[in-house]
Amino acid sequence: MNQVGAVGLIAALVFAIYGMITGAIAGKLRSPRMLKSAQRAVLGFFAMATLAVVSLEYLILTNDFHSAYVASHSSRELPMLYKIPVLWSGQEGSLLFWTWLLSIYVAMAVLLNRRKNRQLMPYIISICMGVATFFSLLTFCVANPFNQLSLATATGVTPYAPPDGNGMNPSLQFHSMVIHPPMLYLGYVGMAIPFAFAMSALMTRQLGDNWIRVTRRWVMVPWMFLGTGIVLGGLWAYHVLGWGGYWAWDPVENASLLPWLAGTAFLHSVMIQEKRGMLKVWNMVLIILTFFLSIFGTFLTRSGIISSVHAFAKSDIGPWFSVFLAIIAAFSLTVLFLRLDFLKTENRLDSIASRESGFLFNNWILLAAVLAVLWGTIFPVVSKAIQDVTVTVGPPFFNKVMIPIGLLLLFLTGAGPLLAWRKTSFQSIKRNFTVPLIFAALVGGILFYVGVHRLYTWMSLFLCAFVAASIVGEFYKGARTRMKTSKENFFSAIYNLTMRNTRRYGGYIVHFGIVLMFVGFAGQAFRFETQGLMGPGDLLQAKDYMFRCESIDTGKKANYQYETASLSVTKDGHSLGVMEPQKRFFIAEQQPLSHVALKSNLARDLYVVMAGTDPDSGKAIIHVIINPLVQWVWIGGMIVLLGTILALIPSRIEREMADLHKSQQEVAEAHHVR
Amino acid sequence: MSVSRLLKILVLSLALVNVAVAAQSPAQIEKDIGDKVYCLCGCVTTLNHCPMLQCAEKEEMRGIIRADLKQGKSEPAILQDLVNRFGEKVLAAPPASGFNLTAWVLPGIGLLIGLLLAMAIVRRWRRPAVQAAAASTAHPVDESVRSAVEEEMKKYID
Repeated sequence: MNQVGAVGLIAALVFAIYGMITGAIAGKLRSPRMLKSAQRAVLGFFAMATLAVVSLEYLILTNDFHSAYVASHSSRELPMLYKIPVLWSGQEGSLLFWTWLLSIYVAMAVLLNRRKNRQLMPYIISICMGVATFFSLLTFCVANPFNQLSLATATGVTPYAPPDGNGMNPSLQFHSMVIHPPMLYLGYVGMAIPFAFAMSALMTRQLGDNWIRVTRRWVMVPWMFLGTGIVLGGLWAYHVLGWGGYWAWDPVENASLLPWLAGTAFLHSVMIQEKRGMLKVWNMVLIILTFFLSIFGTFLTRSGIISSVHAFAKSDIGPWFSVFLAIIAAFSLTVLFLRLDFLKTENRLDSIASRESGFLFNNWILLAAVLAVLWGTIFPVVSKAIQDVTVTVGPPFFNKVMIPIGLLLLFLTGAGPLLAWRKTSFQSIKRNFTVPLIFAALVGGILFYVGVHRLYTWMSLFLCAFVAASIVGEFYKGARTRMKTSKENFFSAIYNLTMRNTRRYGGYIVHFGIVLMFVGFAGQAFRFETQGLMGPGDLLQAKDYMFRCESIDTGKKANYQYETASLSVTKDGHSLGVMEPQKRFFIAEQQPLSHVALKSNLARDLYVVMAGTDPDSGKAIIHVIINPLVQWVWIGGMIVLLGTILALIPSRIEREMADLHKSQQEVAEAHHVR
Repeated sequence: MSVSRLLKILVLSLALVNVAVAAQSPAQIEKDIGDKVYCLCGCVTTLNHCPMLQCAEKEEMRGIIRADLKQGKSEPAILQDLVNRFGEKVLAAPPASGFNLTAWVLPGIGLLIGLLLAMAIVRRWRRPAVQAAAASTAHPVDESVRSAVEEEMKKYID
């Protein structure tokens, strides 16, 4: 099976190179035959990349330790649930996985555009296959997952298989880790498609409404995956790392945030181009930046150039990525520069108090966030290169810089939708802002009264109230109009309103999810921690909660040994049940890991870690954290996901417009063929 | 009292409350320092967040912080002590001096340049004043009608 996988990988590389060349020729010569050939190359690339992935999974599932990759990242006792993610737990496998996901995206782009966007498709295929060539080449030449172990003996080199593998990194053996990396990768990889659409539109001078409408959806899908991946990563860090937090401004975390922020900026500014024909160059820049940051993120994650708690693989792929990033920047900026004349703005701004300028300032803040995160992330490398001093840029830096930026962004989230396109009159501003501001002031007053005195925390919750009120107001006003005009009841009105314009109301739901996440972030200001040594019968108080150690037990599972402290928890004399934090020792990997015990409700999480055993007393070191409002981060993340899915569903208006456009395009295509 | 003055007083009083709340115990100082320095065991997290069980480096650094606190040293003095022992890399954020100052200043400069750029774009995009005035006098519209139209437009154009 090793050979089959290797053949699949080589064949995928050949198909990628062929598709890149034929796609470019088809674009240049406008040849339908060459386009067909390029499309077949894409499907061939998908089939061969799939063969390589299936082969590697087969080697993993059958414990074939002749494979160097399987021997390094898996073991016999590794549970089946965690055998599948072995594919992306190491450098070689994850690059193959990247290549395979790209093959899925490109194949989908080809299949969904069999009868559409015929002029754009040749260059789209060529560009995507160019990216595929890079990743296939990298996987084949630098990080080949199909290398076999061998022993040099007197009779020559013979294949070798150790009795068992080294196992998987214990911190990766967690349920959200099974889906977190695929989500992130789907986000990173998917940004190649809108990039290819944008470049193709520039190269073919097809810069009308069509490419932007199609591209928006192709950005939204990976943006959704990236966002979901980021939240799942936070969930993993919260449950596995044992420090009671979910975001540490680690370089790899930042790497995933960068394209998400740039993509968010695009999803907002694209509306100005659609409605007003403005910001055309800027949108191109954002698409290029988003794709560039996606590749940069993959580079940071996989190269280990910057120390990170998430850098599970380090290798010498850095120079390859540097060259590839330079090629992307040079190619895309050259194409953009050559087509600047086709990207003239069609309209003028009527007023500063308008939705357009709201989006412009939203883009300003998002790009400032990108710059701040990027600069903080790469500063250790810059410092080492310039002053030969190793510095660390961690949470104190990012919190100081990013909290004000985040609050500004939160304000615009609420204020933007209250502004009308073209021009908003003073009367309208007064009318639209009054209720949300009064509600926010009321909430702010109550918060101050109950003891929320930290400036940023207070401001965050004040703005959350403002944004939430503005969103609810938008739904209410829309529903009230429908109730008057269509005689619908309130719930039907809300439903029909939303389904009539899924993009707008899906967007509001996304905003509401962001608000809930900010509520969760603000809760961190009230975090409480305590620690104590506990043996059977010992007590530990954490605010109103009393923990009593009932027993400390040891045991063994298939792939780890464990020590568990059973702690009964009471509050004001009422039992809240038993919590069982665990210390695990993974046998194959020879690594210890704590398993957090959690009791959650919407107000707070009780977070208990068994940090170790005191060598003198033999008692367990128990660390208790009371984490207020954390659940709102996960709930908010889920609502962002639902809102995005809703925004992806075509609304009735969009479907009608799409039908009209399709018939127009068919007529144009028929002309083109003749 | 003007709205701006009211806002100033509100912000100032919140800042004062913030300062007052910030009076710290030794345990709080130890915790704060734990958020400002990195554990040097290779975990790449702050001292308070080091996930390693029985981490020798974490215990050594905590021992130094506690000993300094017993000697009555202030937070900056303890941080300096840690830098003297382990180098600048122990700090979770670079000190705002020398070349490291650029780490702190550049995001602010970027924000400012972005704002100026956004304002320049807005100015360039705006209709010439004469043209706009002519447009508004050519079609005088009642304010209530304009508001109603805006509301309607928001429903359909988004």
